[in-house]
Amino acid sequence: MRSVGPFGDLKEAPRGSDMDSIVNDFTINIATANGTGSQSANLILLQSLFNMGIEVSGKNLFPSNISGLPTWYIVRLSDAGYQAPGDRTHIQILVNPATWEDDLAQLEPGSVVIWNTNAKKPMEREDVISYPVPMTKMARGVNAKLARMITNVIYVGVLAEMLGIDEAAVVEAIGKQFKGKASAIELNTTAFHLGRDHAREHFTKADPYTVEARGSNKGRFFMEGNEATALGSIFGGVQMLAWYPITPSSSVAEGIIAWIPNLRTNDDGEATCAVVQAEDELSAAGMVIGAGWAGARGMTATSGPGISLMQEFIGLAYFAEVPSVFWDVNRVGPSTGLPTRTQQSDLQMLYEGSHGDTQHIVLIPGTVEECFEFGWRAFDVAERFQTPVFGLSDLDLGMNRWASEGFTYPDAPMDRGKVIRERDIFEAMEDFGRYRDVDGDGIPYRTLPGSGMAPILYRGTGHDPYGVYSEKAHVYLDLMQRLRRKIDGARDHLPAPIIREEEECDVGIIYFGSMENTIQEIDDIVEAKGRKVSQCRVRSLPLHSDIEAFCERHKTVIVLEINRDGQLWGIMRRELPNHLVNRVHSVAYSDGMPPRASIYADLIMKTIEEVEA
Amino acid sequence: MSDAPARKARPVKLNIIDQPVDAYKGGPSSLCPGCGHDQISSVIIKAAWENGIEPHRIAKMSGIGCSSKTPAYYLGQSHGFNTVHGRMPSVTTGAAAVNGELTYLGVSGDGDSASIGIGQLIHAIRRNLDMVYIVENNGVYGLTKGQYSATAEVGSKKKKGRPNEQQPIDLCALAINLGCTFVARSFSGSKKQLTALLKAAMAHKGFALIDVISPCVTFNNNDESYRSYGYVKENEVTLHMPDYIPQRMPVEEVEVPEGHFVDITLHDGSTIRLETIDAEHDPSNAVAALSALHKADSEDHHVTGLLYFDGTQPTMHEALNLPETALIDLEVSDLRPSPEALEEVIAAFRDG
Repeated sequence: MRSVGPFGDLKEAPRGSDMDSIVNDFTINIATANGTGSQSANLILLQSLFNMGIEVSGKNLFPSNISGLPTWYIVRLSDAGYQAPGDRTHIQILVNPATWEDDLAQLEPGSVVIWNTNAKKPMEREDVISYPVPMTKMARGVNAKLARMITNVIYVGVLAEMLGIDEAAVVEAIGKQFKGKASAIELNTTAFHLGRDHAREHFTKADPYTVEARGSNKGRFFMEGNEATALGSIFGGVQMLAWYPITPSSSVAEGIIAWIPNLRTNDDGEATCAVVQAEDELSAAGMVIGAGWAGARGMTATSGPGISLMQEFIGLAYFAEVPSVFWDVNRVGPSTGLPTRTQQSDLQMLYEGSHGDTQHIVLIPGTVEECFEFGWRAFDVAERFQTPVFGLSDLDLGMNRWASEGFTYPDAPMDRGKVIRERDIFEAMEDFGRYRDVDGDGIPYRTLPGSGMAPILYRGTGHDPYGVYSEKAHVYLDLMQRLRRKIDGARDHLPAPIIREEEECDVGIIYFGSMENTIQEIDDIVEAKGRKVSQCRVRSLPLHSDIEAFCERHKTVIVLEINRDGQLWGIMRRELPNHLVNRVHSVAYSDGMPPRASIYADLIMKTIEEVEA
Repeated sequence: MSDAPARKARPVKLNIIDQPVDAYKGGPSSLCPGCGHDQISSVIIKAAWENGIEPHRIAKMSGIGCSSKTPAYYLGQSHGFNTVHGRMPSVTTGAAAVNGELTYLGVSGDGDSASIGIGQLIHAIRRNLDMVYIVENNGVYGLTKGQYSATAEVGSKKKKGRPNEQQPIDLCALAINLGCTFVARSFSGSKKQLTALLKAAMAHKGFALIDVISPCVTFNNNDESYRSYGYVKENEVTLHMPDYIPQRMPVEEVEVPEGHFVDITLHDGSTIRLETIDAEHDPSNAVAALSALHKADSEDHHVTGLLYFDGTQPTMHEALNLPETALIDLEVSDLRPSPEALEEVIAAFRDG
């Protein structure tokens, strides 16, 4: 392919009809600055493609900043349904002068660049297909004050023209983005037309990328994982939300708050869920535990740094056996880490949180549908097992938009667990003790404050089956053994792994969480290299018994994770029977970016080779 | 409590809800003999009994430390939560949000409240959480054997080691500055005053802080300590003698002559009557309250009584716009929206 320089002679560019088209299978990278309104333009682009029935996904790579720092949005079209960002950029939108050189340098020859000629930056690559657009100047012509925002919609117009995006799909998307705001809709539609008209007048298509309508999105819609978690929590009957703002979890709490007026307000206009924005994560955890102790469904949403701060309270909830729900939307650690990047590095902390011997239930959604389901289910599990329950999501799943077909209404009535609210039932019980294991399942019965039934002083100190302080050796030992038995008994009550098994049962890949959105592409790459692998997605801790059986059936097991240390692998090595430990290998990689399939596929192939060598 | 076996059986005295005082008692104390905290526990028992609160409708909250162990020694019919160090306010906040019908009675110490938990205390005050918060203030960490706390005065001396060199935090001054709606100081040895203050605090709707000087007989009872029995007895300036008049009791039964008291009406119509020994103090005047504290401080005295009161502020529960029925008593149908509601939400997402 040949280059077209800045304001170059477009007449010499090769015509689209002269080359093979690449349809619905390419990646667009949009480089802008944070706080310029580019997010709404990018979502309009994503929604427009989605409206055409195309399989498309969007990744927002945003900085920890309100305004000015660089941000990228990656749109991937894939008829195969791949949702990871691809390995390379095919079309680069260049608006941000700050990252201009780097963005250009990363492009492979022949890539398309749609760039803002008013950014005062030269187009130094000659081996790319260049579409120069005076975006800022055009935007100023529409509205000088809002020029920065309008600039972004202009590139949507250019893309629509060059790729063949249906105008009706874009108009619908603009309407959806600016629901009910007539002036915003008008302004954005005008800017979109400007961009489209500019491209129509000035460019002859010189690249192979086009879109074609497909029928795959009928009845589907986009939703962020955090919105789904929030909605699930609402349908789970959350009664107390205590939270402290932290990226990338704030939208879980804000989602719940936003739904309360419609879904959780009584006829008198009063909320059936209390919301308190706490002074810090320690307090948020304390409030959740206070609500659980009082007999309500309490939850918080946070990220790794918040969970770090909550450790002391998590131990209290485990030891005093108080139902409580904690959502962790994982970001990159350690410490403040990369606050706006994604990772699966909090698993171990959640599973073994707080000092002393502990073990916690963790629910791990991999899709927006599961964010919804585990959102409500977490309360049932917490109340049944009278213990803290963690939901582990991550920034990729939580803050990006994913296509969904809809959610299934809770398929079971609320499970409030062994809580005694009626006096006649209480009185029929012999020798009531708050921590007595009456049923042999490690789960005791509880009564609530204010009930007058078997009042005790809950405590984080050692206690006997009646809740009375004790330091006796056998009392402590019995208590700790019962707690282990209780959590152990949860295994097969929790969401079972999703297994897609090859007949050969040669290599089995075990993974969890948002890796679900990349696994099929990884599988296809590995299969193209001659290996068929089975897949097993872990959806909860402690490990379901199906996972051990999966390991038993496969010669080689690879545990695939978006972190450095192979945290799930570590847990499996400790908990699997000895004869399985040596067949379980780790592929753990994280650079903060959403997982790219080829990196993991290569690491899997390398591991298989090493194992078989 | 120490009835001699020979004494003739008398009819048991009952309170307004026909409960004997025994219904408000707890287990035996394991604190050092003579500890000021035990006197406060006995005041709690007396105040709750005299106020006629159903014992099981009280929730006993505490953090960690000597003071925080005491909920085991009173109100045995009440549920309680001995939480973690300095974090009792947040646990109480969560419980009160879902069940505002209970009387939340928190007991804390100066380590718990003025050091590790000062942030939670401040924010509970800021929310006007409806609770009674007693600080059993002795200026030392007792359970860890006598380290200075953040309320110890400059120059305080332990038996061994260097005197304290850091400025103390005055929790009452802090609370007044934060707009706390009920701020009082008392002394564990002033049983009558403390009982009246505690009864009024229980009737108050909002955050009631009572900072009680409670000498540590083991680590901080040398006479030069500002928190020793001897020192407080000698250097206590009482702002007023308070008396608590429940709503149901006619005001004229009180003996203080008119003109020598001020009445403060609590939300339920009951009254705290302050006999004006130091006639000028107006508890609605924050500046006057702070002046009284500063004056006492500069003269190495303690000033006790109801320092500040504001009955007009909404509680956290009121600000949250919650139903009259406690959230824990709502039906499942109130908590889980219908399948149709889910369909509507999804339809809105589909159709934009």
